[in-house]
Amino acid sequence: MAALRWRRSGQYLLVVWAALTLNFLLPRMAPGDPLDYLIGPEAEILDDGQREAVLAEFGLDRPLPRQYVDYLGGLVVGDLGISLRYGRSVSAILVERIPWTLLILVPSILISTLLATALGTLAASRRGGRADGSLVAVTLMIDSLPAFWIGMVLIAVFAVRLQWLPSFGAVPFDPADGALGQALEIGRRAVLPIATMVIGSLGHTFLLARASVLTALGEDHVLMAHAKGLRPRRVLFGHVLRTALLPVYTSVTLSFGSILGGAVLIETVFAYPGLGRLVFEAVAARDYPLLQGAFVLTALGVIAANWLADATYPRFDPRVRDMSAS
Amino acid sequence: MRLHLAVTAILLVLVSACADAGSTDAEASRLVVAIPRDGGPINPYSGSGDFLLGFVYDRLFEPSPFVEEAWPGLATGARQMDDTTWVVDLRTGVRWHDGTPFSADDVAFTYHYYRDGPPNRFGHHVSDVPTIDRVVVLDSVTVRFECGYPCPTLERITMADLPIIPRHVWEGVTSPRTMTRLPVGTGPYVLEEYRPDQLYRFRANHDYAQGTPAFEELLMPILSDASSAFVALRTGQVDAVARPVPPELVESFSNDPDLDVMTSPALSIVELRPNYRRPPFEDPVLRRALSLAVDRAGLAERVLLGRGRPGDRGYPHPDSPWTDPASSTPSDPAEARRLLDGSGVVDRDGDGVREMPDGTHLDLEVLVDAGEATRVRAAELVSRQLGDVGIRARVVPLESGALSQRSATREYDMFVSEIGPHGAADPDQFVMSHRSGYLWEADRPFPAWDTLFVRWKAAATVEDRSRAAHDMQRLFNAHPTSIALYYPDEIWAFRPAEHDGWFPLPGHGIVHKWSLVHR
Repeated sequence: MAALRWRRSGQYLLVVWAALTLNFLLPRMAPGDPLDYLIGPEAEILDDGQREAVLAEFGLDRPLPRQYVDYLGGLVVGDLGISLRYGRSVSAILVERIPWTLLILVPSILISTLLATALGTLAASRRGGRADGSLVAVTLMIDSLPAFWIGMVLIAVFAVRLQWLPSFGAVPFDPADGALGQALEIGRRAVLPIATMVIGSLGHTFLLARASVLTALGEDHVLMAHAKGLRPRRVLFGHVLRTALLPVYTSVTLSFGSILGGAVLIETVFAYPGLGRLVFEAVAARDYPLLQGAFVLTALGVIAANWLADATYPRFDPRVRDMSAS
Repeated sequence: MRLHLAVTAILLVLVSACADAGSTDAEASRLVVAIPRDGGPINPYSGSGDFLLGFVYDRLFEPSPFVEEAWPGLATGARQMDDTTWVVDLRTGVRWHDGTPFSADDVAFTYHYYRDGPPNRFGHHVSDVPTIDRVVVLDSVTVRFECGYPCPTLERITMADLPIIPRHVWEGVTSPRTMTRLPVGTGPYVLEEYRPDQLYRFRANHDYAQGTPAFEELLMPILSDASSAFVALRTGQVDAVARPVPPELVESFSNDPDLDVMTSPALSIVELRPNYRRPPFEDPVLRRALSLAVDRAGLAERVLLGRGRPGDRGYPHPDSPWTDPASSTPSDPAEARRLLDGSGVVDRDGDGVREMPDGTHLDLEVLVDAGEATRVRAAELVSRQLGDVGIRARVVPLESGALSQRSATREYDMFVSEIGPHGAADPDQFVMSHRSGYLWEADRPFPAWDTLFVRWKAAATVEDRSRAAHDMQRLFNAHPTSIALYYPDEIWAFRPAEHDGWFPLPGHGIVHKWSLVHR
């Protein structure tokens, strides 16, 4: 058991190192450099010497191995560097942006999961019927739509046509009266991004839930439950969903890992100040330290979510618990 | 139930964590203008762009080098004492936004900082074209500029271009690109709040010496997505958008009773840039043939839908007061073919594509930013036109970063790009671009240019300088390293009920400080 733990810890460390190294290399392998942002649109008219001098201000003229060593050394002491674009500590910028992304992503994942599971269960329990066919067709269609397009349609309807909701930003220009008023205003501005993400991610979870429920419905223990004369509702909640929801749980846990990557397109369309927009702007500016910091956060999030799924799965599935014990 | 409570608690924590952002008092008179990009904390090193800088900082003369007559800004007048010396009288009673009095020390400090400090877009206008050796403070309201060679256009170009920064803030700043404090200027609006990627909030500077700010408060939300910005304008969430309206939206905006549109000369050039550093376009005759092969009128008609002009006046932009009024770059495919034939670039194997004298096919690439649909269309049409004279030019759309890199490393045959007003309309920058590598390199042999450059440097009056500059422009356009394809117009949209005092300034559109100040 201890050997297994050591091996697994070693695997996680290897994955972390590989992720950190890729975080360093990938932004630098992308074509372009930060000069276009640092100088502005006029960068092209500078001579080579001036371009080099600007890069030297941020240590970007140093050999790549030296930059890599400095990057790893910084990580060890928790220093993610200074953003080229904002001139501030990368850690501080990330800490500012995380709450905004969580504010729209946590509710959207929860709502989307609950809704998709309910619809998937409904479709599976009426397999082959009209409701099943309609739900599969509609969710497949929605799943094929790009999220930013869904966002634009929601803006066209709720911001332009009905003028119920604002189309951009996370906070009003002026604070509302009181903390509750301000919180409600912030909530109003989160409605469209959340709705976009819920609609955009519904299809995948719906299909997963439907397939899992269908599989569970054919299991012997479910047949047994029916044979014992249990009510269909009790069979569904007590016997079918307990096993059918395990894949959904795994999928949702892993999707929390990708939370920190943010919803790049959605945050850009809604001018929402979360991590996704930050990454978008950092890519445009070739802000290597900021990209590294955001990707480190994302990579660690994914690894942590994998670990969480690994660690908690046995609590929900006795078969895995038994296997681990043996 | 526990889950429900936990979710609610998490949401409340997140909302309250976010709720502190953006607290400030509302003002009575306000204008909201959506801007397309975050310009950082607005200083001459943060890549803010001229229009944002203008709200906070002033120049000695205003509004820019692109007008016939610059008007006094922080200076009240300037006298040329001899070929290389100017004395400038400064406005009295001006204060920086933090209350510190503005003085001649700030002017001297600014010019020395741009010259000796880290490079930015202003630096070479002090250190090279022209060369300012010294700025001497004569008294608190008078300075003397001493140039390294005659500088007759110092007042109209350099002094109308460089924003003045406060010595008491900038002294000791060695890394200005990491400076994050809010700017201190003398301009009509004080930057009160900057939320990165979200918002700039300015308030009126009631002590502004050059006029009265038209609004008590200016809000500039940053909407990098164009569709979001124009939706916000249509729904009244913003009053104007500081980015040109795409051609396909102009009609619908014109027909909207709540909106108005205004056209301004962009002073920018969409160009075809051949690589003069390598074959085949290191040969000036082939660059001339390339220029003659392009049908600019046809290009403008199909690409611009009437919103701009063909680039048949070459480079620099014809609306710049510094451009040769007789400049012309006609299209003549027959002459292009004749020049190619005369250079031994002929189609020997009958496949419709010419070969160089060494047998290499004239099979080239035209790079273009894939995100700029109009330019991609222009590149496709150019490709077709070049095909008509026997040059195969394949259009290669690239992501903007990839295109920048290919340009910086000189790995291209040709590319379609756009050069802004500073490059296209500033005569000093035209000369500078021949030294920096953009249009030519200082150490690359070009005897005819070198002769003109000596004459240009020696010119001691504006008239002599202009004559030399016009000769340089003619020489350039005969064998261009940047072929003007078209001169786009810019169309701007706004809500006239909120503000109808917009006026177009060449090269600066309508969103600039002079639209928002009563002079």
